Amino acid sequence: MTAAKVTPSSPSQQTPPPWRDVRVLRIVGQVVAVVAVFGALYWLFNNLITNLNDSGIPIDFGVFNQPTNFSIRDDPGFDDRSPLFPNLLWVGIKNTAISTIFGILIALTLGTLVGIGRLSSNWLVSKLSLLYVEGLRNIPVLVLITFFGFAVFTFGPFPPFNPSSPPISIGLPFSDSNLALLSNDRWGVPSIATDGATGLFWILMLAALAATVAVWRWRTSVNIKTGAPHRRVLFALGTLLGIGIIAFLITGTPYRMSWPAVSESGRRIDGGFSTNAGWISLTVALGLYTASHVAEIVRGSIQAVAKGQSEASNALALSGFQRYRFVVLPQALRIAIPPTINQFLNLTKNTSLGVVVAYPEITSLIRTAIGNGKPAVPLLAVLMAIYLGFSFFWSIMLNIVNRRFQLVGR
Amino acid sequence: MKNTKWLRIIAAIFAFTLVAAACSSGGSDGETGGSDSTNEDGDSGDSGDSGDGDSGDGDTVELTQDGGRLAAVQERGTLICGGNDTLPGFGIVDDAGDFSGFDIDFCRVVAAGVLGDANAVEFVPLTADARFTALQSGEIDVLIRNTTWTATRDGQEGANFLFTTFFDGQGLMVPASTGFTELEDLADASICVLSGTTTELNLNSVFSARGIAFNPVVFEDNNALRPAYEEGQCEAWTSDASQLAAFKSSIEGEGGDEQFIMAEIISKEPLGPVVVDGDTEWAQAVNWSVMATVQAWEFGLDSGSISGYSGDDPNILNFIGTDGFDPGIGLPADFAVQVVSQVGNYEEIYNANIIPIGLQLTGSPNDLWTNGGLMYVPPYR
Repeated sequence: MTAAKVTPSSPSQQTPPPWRDVRVLRIVGQVVAVVAVFGALYWLFNNLITNLNDSGIPIDFGVFNQPTNFSIRDDPGFDDRSPLFPNLLWVGIKNTAISTIFGILIALTLGTLVGIGRLSSNWLVSKLSLLYVEGLRNIPVLVLITFFGFAVFTFGPFPPFNPSSPPISIGLPFSDSNLALLSNDRWGVPSIATDGATGLFWILMLAALAATVAVWRWRTSVNIKTGAPHRRVLFALGTLLGIGIIAFLITGTPYRMSWPAVSESGRRIDGGFSTNAGWISLTVALGLYTASHVAEIVRGSIQAVAKGQSEASNALALSGFQRYRFVVLPQALRIAIPPTINQFLNLTKNTSLGVVVAYPEITSLIRTAIGNGKPAVPLLAVLMAIYLGFSFFWSIMLNIVNRRFQLVGR
Repeated sequence: MKNTKWLRIIAAIFAFTLVAAACSSGGSDGETGGSDSTNEDGDSGDSGDSGDGDSGDGDTVELTQDGGRLAAVQERGTLICGGNDTLPGFGIVDDAGDFSGFDIDFCRVVAAGVLGDANAVEFVPLTADARFTALQSGEIDVLIRNTTWTATRDGQEGANFLFTTFFDGQGLMVPASTGFTELEDLADASICVLSGTTTELNLNSVFSARGIAFNPVVFEDNNALRPAYEEGQCEAWTSDASQLAAFKSSIEGEGGDEQFIMAEIISKEPLGPVVVDGDTEWAQAVNWSVMATVQAWEFGLDSGSISGYSGDDPNILNFIGTDGFDPGIGLPADFAVQVVSQVGNYEEIYNANIIPIGLQLTGSPNDLWTNGGLMYVPPYR
């Protein structure tokens, strides 16, 4: 093939000397690059090993079979004073994940609203959105987290939580239960507790789901055969709820509300979902910060949809809502997904800043372990592997979602 | 300089992860490779070092750096000392941006002993959990940062702990208004603790031994921990008693609530300078510079009197080097004079830094052995 390209040029020009031959140069260039990269990696790795050996510190992954010998803030295994390392990693990963999930929920909801708000024709809404984006996007996230930790909690309006100073309690009307317990150290909110045959309940729910699918298909076929309105959603929901309620009752109400209450010692929250100031500061600050980036992505993606699309839908007399719902947003979504998932990835990694508000996420725990005399190199290697795992998760999600939304080929 | 080192370490660890992932089952294989290199270098590490004492399993302790650090520091002309910059009394940056404190003064002691100039020090402020990494990577020559001597740190962190300059113990501080006096009063309480310190371990072992539940709130530095404590996010603050005393006087001095330090001391915390394992000559040089302050105190020599000593006590003449005595530890003959005249003896250093934060010397473990304390140095002869 290449020979065919070469021949039309002057016949006197034979094969060029190797140092001027593009094909040779390309290969040499790649070999040099590979050697340089691997050489650099080898040099760095060798440095590490040499220095560690000089200091008599073997690299030893045996640390993961040892007890950690320290306890973790608000760890449910509160009484287990010496958890083994896998437990520590598990608590750390769980805390990182919880912060990530809630942070993403905040970022996605708020970011979408603000992003659309920026394009609003209402002057106030669009300027407020602009203020939000420019304000939060330009503050380092570490500062934001520290600010939340100090302004909202440490120096905030909530009282300390100890026997002499009970937390603010917001009561549930017509009962003795608390809807919320608020202090500058921890908050308690209601949660759902289990007791009883949850397994059986979910087996029944599986059956309910199958029944729902059957009803859905049935209504669809009725619609196709007779032309009568299908009302699939109504029928399906009815089936699901009906069977669900019956299953819930016959399995002996396996789920119930759990309300937060101050413990006997006056220092803990019994029942409900108890969370600490660190978690709230970290999650809300990350959520708000990432929302400003998501808002810009949403705005950019909407504006990237060709103007003709909007004009065409106007010409078809679609309403403003219909224009967005059926024409603009589906196209904007496709553009917005990759950069948004990148933001999720950033948010995941930013949770490592939780140490400034004393939130025990994985980085903080690993650092505590290192500070308590555990070997740094194996622990940092595992820490990196964990974040790599989170990143892989997001890139897999990105690929799945992208495949789902990508344009079907011609 | 500092940045490139860090980049190197991080990149190296990354490379390491790749390799570790590639041969995850090769724990013993890796050791074989390591011991090969020990054999090769075994002959070169011959300067009479008892390397076999701490490597019974034939583990990899290479002594290629033996003797390197002392010469390197003297050639460089400055000592790089890892210290604290947020702890009143021990290591803190004052309004003018200068480091001061007990530990900082011992950095200056080492510089005076090794280089003859107490001001030839470059201070590197380190967080508690970054200090051993900095030491291991060779970023700092010596670590003097209220660091407790423990077996794990001696072993797994590759640290070499030298003369204990301060005998401390972990205590708990609570606001005086609470009326708490013993650990049992703190059942279920949130307790503020600094990350990367042995305090977490001590706290855990003492509370679990007595079956008291507690909730540790781990902060990264004292600047974040202190407001959290003062505003009641945690009910107690645990740390070395000396640090608590420093913060007690600081909080009360700034108009905060009155504080109470519980009488119970829950751990032994011997604090002292640390160098990296594998360089005996450097360790000796640092150690004897530091011990000279205590020896001078024992001899009754202080910064004013040592250089003008005119007596004829042969031990003192040995010590100040006027009779040309050289024990062969690699330090100049007059190092003790430089140390004491430029920085002071132990008592002077203590009085300048520790007395102001409210800890007495007389009657404490840090008093001279002749007064019933623990400050006892080997004879200089």
